Amino acid sequence: MSTSGLKAIAPVPKASDFLDIVLSKTQRKTPTVIHKNFKISRIRNFYMRKVKFTQDSFDEKLGAILEEFPIIDDLHPFLSSLLNVLYDKNHYKLALGQLRTARHLIDQVAKDYVRLLKFGDSLYRCKQLKRAALGRMATIMKRQNEALEFLEEVRKHLSRLPAIDPTARTLLICGYPNVGKSSFLNKVTRADVDVQPYAFTTKSLFVGHLDYRYMRWQVIDTPGILDHPLEEMNNIEMQSITALAHLKACVLYFMDLSEQCGYSVEAQCQLFHAIKPLFANKPTVLVLNKVDVARLDDLAPERRAMVDEIINAEGVRHVQVSCYTDEGVTVLKTTACDALLEHRVDMKLKGNKVNGILNRLHVAQPKPRDDVIRAPFIPDAIKERKKYDQNDPERRRLERDVEAEEGGAGVYNINLKKSYLLENDEWKNDVMPEIMDGKNIADFIDPDILEKLDALEREEEKLEAEGFYDSESDMFDSDDEREAVAAKSAREKKLISQSTKKAMKNRAALPRTAGLRTLSELTSEMTKAGLDPSRIQERAEILAKVAGAKRKRQREEDEAQMDVDEDAEMGDGGEDEWMDVDGEEAPRLKKAKANSGAVAAKGARHPRSNRQLAGMRDEAQASKAVKLRNLGQRERNMQARAGESDRAIKTKMPKHLFAGKRKMGKTDRR
Amino acid sequence: MRVEKCYFCSKSVYPGHGSAFVRNDAKVFRFCSSKCNKNFKMKRNPRKVRWTKAFRKAAGKEMTVDSTIEFEKRRNVPVRYNRELVETTVKAMKRIAEIKQKREHAFWKNRMAVAREKLKAHRKRKLEKTSVKLVQPITPQAEKVKEKIKVAVKTRSALVAGEGRSMGMEID
Repeated sequence: MSTSGLKAIAPVPKASDFLDIVLSKTQRKTPTVIHKNFKISRIRNFYMRKVKFTQDSFDEKLGAILEEFPIIDDLHPFLSSLLNVLYDKNHYKLALGQLRTARHLIDQVAKDYVRLLKFGDSLYRCKQLKRAALGRMATIMKRQNEALEFLEEVRKHLSRLPAIDPTARTLLICGYPNVGKSSFLNKVTRADVDVQPYAFTTKSLFVGHLDYRYMRWQVIDTPGILDHPLEEMNNIEMQSITALAHLKACVLYFMDLSEQCGYSVEAQCQLFHAIKPLFANKPTVLVLNKVDVARLDDLAPERRAMVDEIINAEGVRHVQVSCYTDEGVTVLKTTACDALLEHRVDMKLKGNKVNGILNRLHVAQPKPRDDVIRAPFIPDAIKERKKYDQNDPERRRLERDVEAEEGGAGVYNINLKKSYLLENDEWKNDVMPEIMDGKNIADFIDPDILEKLDALEREEEKLEAEGFYDSESDMFDSDDEREAVAAKSAREKKLISQSTKKAMKNRAALPRTAGLRTLSELTSEMTKAGLDPSRIQERAEILAKVAGAKRKRQREEDEAQMDVDEDAEMGDGGEDEWMDVDGEEAPRLKKAKANSGAVAAKGARHPRSNRQLAGMRDEAQASKAVKLRNLGQRERNMQARAGESDRAIKTKMPKHLFAGKRKMGKTDRR
Repeated sequence: MRVEKCYFCSKSVYPGHGSAFVRNDAKVFRFCSSKCNKNFKMKRNPRKVRWTKAFRKAAGKEMTVDSTIEFEKRRNVPVRYNRELVETTVKAMKRIAEIKQKREHAFWKNRMAVAREKLKAHRKRKLEKTSVKLVQPITPQAEKVKEKIKVAVKTRSALVAGEGRSMGMEID
């Protein structure tokens, strides 16, 4: 509901619909299964429940309707009289009263039949009682059809009433039909009311809103009023009368001097006098509309007199307006609004509430502290300055004029530095440096910088004199130099010794041939010592021969299985050197050895015992041992490990595992 | 145009470089790089982060109190432009920079003096420990003249390849 104070009302169903709703509700929401051989108490309960439920539903729904419809007497007098005008207060009250009675009657019916049901002795009897109860309730409701329909109509109309706030600032437009009231409303607000040449185009109140002085104003357009006594006024006119009577608003009485509305000026003035009592205590504005056609000054004197009578006698304001040409519309608006504001302020001042506020208001006036006059300072040059007049030929030259002379806006660049006030005018167009050597020059600018710099220089001299900047510890002594050199060489030696120490860690301290001696060495040393080595020599030769024969046999065996590669290293050359028997066995093959550094005997290829078969019983066991060894080695070989202690990882971070996107999935873990 | 100081590391931020963060209380934090910015967002205290100037100053590694530093300070009162003043200011800036550098060097040297003493002492000790004291070399004995003497054959010992440790022979 848009009219303030009236809330939205739920739709009121017709009597038949009402019945349908309630009865179907009963059927749905109560148990439906009953049989004649149930216990009698159960049967009674069943039917009592139905009756009671129906009664409750009726109660509820009727109660809701009665609650929602407003009580006319409790509303604002404007609304109540408006409702009276529109719907006839008595009829409305009667309708609601009827519903109330119906509710009461239904309650009685239910009470009676429940009492009767308590003594029902069979299913059939109970059922009949229930039927009777429900039937009576239905009849009662059917009789309320008219009331329900009336209330539904009222509800529909109420929901479409315009939202009129009886307490807000309002401008009320009234007058004869067709004088231009609705046109004015359309002009001044955003309302879009029908404007037609026939009378009673506006058949009800219309509201528009306007803003003036940061406040919201309601403008209410009323249907036209004809000049006949109150009793003869029809419904439509009564609405305007109601509005006029009850709303505290500024009244805009529209008059049409051109008589285009079809009513004469005299008639309009008469009407004004007739409804004057309604304007008591309201600021009134006489609006003379359609001045594009007829002006007040052009009126005939008698009519003029009549109008003047209204204007002067009652202290009524008047405005001449033409809604067609928009002349005076704004003036009218401001006059009306101001008049209303004044009136409202007056009312408030006269009322009692003001005192409560005035008590709390205190306007503080500052007291002068002393006799000193503190006037605003205005330089004399400004006081004597001539006011700039565009048409004066001797006006002063502005920047705009300069710009125009030099070629216009796009061509001329304003030199803002032109009017700088500097000590020396040559500096005006200087570009000041801002940054130097990573420092801001603005941080160093100081009018006293020279003094400060002098102080600094003096300080500097003092420091130098003291010897602050001398550095004895800087002198590099001869002692220091020697020490430095010695330290350096010591460091180098240390490094070398450390590296050799590490290198020698895993090496035998002496080579295998350290204690070996050739026969010639032995004999020469012995001779030098004065001993006779002949026996030793003989024995050595014998041994050498034996060893040589054995070796020859071995060599012949090996040759059968020897690879081609091994041809290159004939170990016999080495053996020759080792057992140098004065070069007698020279024609042995003396080929270049693969590794000439080793003096070790190449007889190591044929050791005396075969370690691999040494502990085996027989061939079967030996082959089993070989198999087991291979089995154990297989795992390591698959991992390309040299042996069981080989834990080397050639690539710590293979790229394919540690870089790149995955085809599917996340790369959170690598 | 101003060369600002990075809030975190106190480096100079030239125009067009770095970023700035304005807090709700209208305090502006300028950064030279995203490194400083990220450190700031991590709520690190520049006075505890070793490579920043703030740490160095707080830890006494840089000169903090000196008259040359008072020349450079942000002035909020504008001075009317005066060409001569700007000229003298530019010259003064150069001189001040020289002096400041000298003083900073002196400060540094003073700081390092302690370390230098330590270094010298360390070197001395090291040398004493490791250096070989050169003594008068031992003169080798005059080579004996070996005479050949005839000795009767005594035992027949089968001398096979020895251990190799001793050059001298065992004579039974």
